[in-house]
Amino acid sequence: MVPDGADLFWGGFGYQRAPIAFSHELVRQKKRNLTVHTCGSEVDLEIMAGAGVTTRFEIAFVAIEALGLANNMRRRVAEGKVEIEDYSNLAMAMRFLGGALNVPFMPIRSLMGTDMVEKSRYREKKVEVMDCPFTGEKICLVPSLQPDFSIVHVQRVDQTGNAQIDGIVGEDLEGSRCGKKLIVLAEELIDEEEIRTRPDQTKIPAMYVDHVVILPYVAHPMECHDYYDYDLEHLQMFHKMTRTEEGWQEYLENYILGVENHYAYLELVGWEHLHSLRARKPWGY
Amino acid sequence: MVTYSKIEFLAACASRHVNDRENVFGGTGLPLLAALLAKETHAANANLISEAGFIDAKPRNVPLSVADSRYYYRSSAAIGLIETLGFILQAGRIDVGFLGAAQIDEYGNLNTTYIGDYDSPKVRLPGSGGGNDIASSAKRLIIMMTHDKRKFVKELDHRTSPGHLEGPGSREKWSLVGGGPEVVITDMCQMDFDPETLRIRLASVHPGYSVQDVLDNVMFDLIVPDDVPVTEEPTQHQIDIMHRLDPNGIYLSKGGG
Repeated sequence: MVPDGADLFWGGFGYQRAPIAFSHELVRQKKRNLTVHTCGSEVDLEIMAGAGVTTRFEIAFVAIEALGLANNMRRRVAEGKVEIEDYSNLAMAMRFLGGALNVPFMPIRSLMGTDMVEKSRYREKKVEVMDCPFTGEKICLVPSLQPDFSIVHVQRVDQTGNAQIDGIVGEDLEGSRCGKKLIVLAEELIDEEEIRTRPDQTKIPAMYVDHVVILPYVAHPMECHDYYDYDLEHLQMFHKMTRTEEGWQEYLENYILGVENHYAYLELVGWEHLHSLRARKPWGY
Repeated sequence: MVTYSKIEFLAACASRHVNDRENVFGGTGLPLLAALLAKETHAANANLISEAGFIDAKPRNVPLSVADSRYYYRSSAAIGLIETLGFILQAGRIDVGFLGAAQIDEYGNLNTTYIGDYDSPKVRLPGSGGGNDIASSAKRLIIMMTHDKRKFVKELDHRTSPGHLEGPGSREKWSLVGGGPEVVITDMCQMDFDPETLRIRLASVHPGYSVQDVLDNVMFDLIVPDDVPVTEEPTQHQIDIMHRLDPNGIYLSKGGG
């Protein structure tokens, strides 16, 4: 459904609700020249940069946080195969908010005085610092984003597309509303009547949703609050293997290209192992 | 005689800069450990905030990610980024923020994005994340780094986050909300900023290190006052708490910051 050259809002934040299964499928379908917009994502960005699916990123952060640097991204940037337009987390979140509100830019008080204003890769206008017409203060304007697709992973959805998120939303409220089409990936399909018993949990009403995909363990090896914890063993293996191009190619072949679909991937990881990651009450991980 | 690692020393030092009832941006890694340690000792009512959206967090295990579910359990609110970086941080409600960096210059400006030339970078680092936002808008910024000559540079390869920029008056020029960096803590010493010039100044050296060791490991002219005391050591109580917070040594066993 996503054509070559499309630009995407990419949901999830840090280790939480990363749409890993979607990044796998983009790789299997050999998509090319995608642009990804997000605040801070990790393994999913590594997969898309490493496999050559995404050539441009407008992001604030890429690493595996506590585990270390993003090896694939580091190699692809050094090779000149990936271009990153650098913003801060607030700048990206405000760009999504601006897109969702259908205004061309948003003002922020970050970025000023640094190379984030001075240097840009490919955007003709990356940011604009101006004197506020009302107060005279310096203010930084960031361009709003209305990408072709928003990709968001949630816990639960009903038949009509009402999507519920547990835990933090990161930048997914703004992100889900800024794209021209919204694809929601959900762990679980629930009945509309159940949605209506807890409407406050519906973070994305059905009116915004264009397509729904129901799959378990969408975020593996990352986490999904109240559903499953991150898979530390797999994450450490991923990070270790991506240290070399050969190691990454081996991971790519084994876990992504070598399996037919997400269920085959889960089969390979092992249901017993996946079961051991299931979240426990009352902690949610 | 208390025995401690470099990492434990760093975390204990940093924790002393968090005061009770302050709003603190925790993040992950050493800063988080420092903030949690402060809450367990002298700052029980510090409000620990993670930029992913967790407010007043009291995690029972150390989170690996700012968005980790370990932050959720026992926090008083779980919202999102516009809340934490916008309503809270940009509105001037954060007292203390912590940042690490790959490079720092004499005004406390930070690089977390590229090593080498921007047009053909040698190494891509994580980038700003919320770092630029925190450095722009937190009232006080505490910088934590491992001490290495290549990190304390005359000129940054890339300026990701604002310190005191070009010195007095330059943060005001951009109407930045926060006060800029207050302290730099390394595994060798603590530094603060000279109030006249806003340049980095040596404040104390850790036990086992001399002023000369520090001077040998910075590439700019570090201001050295006449009297440089020895940094206070961590207590056994602090060490014990850190081991309880990070039983698997995820952060404590790391060599770097």
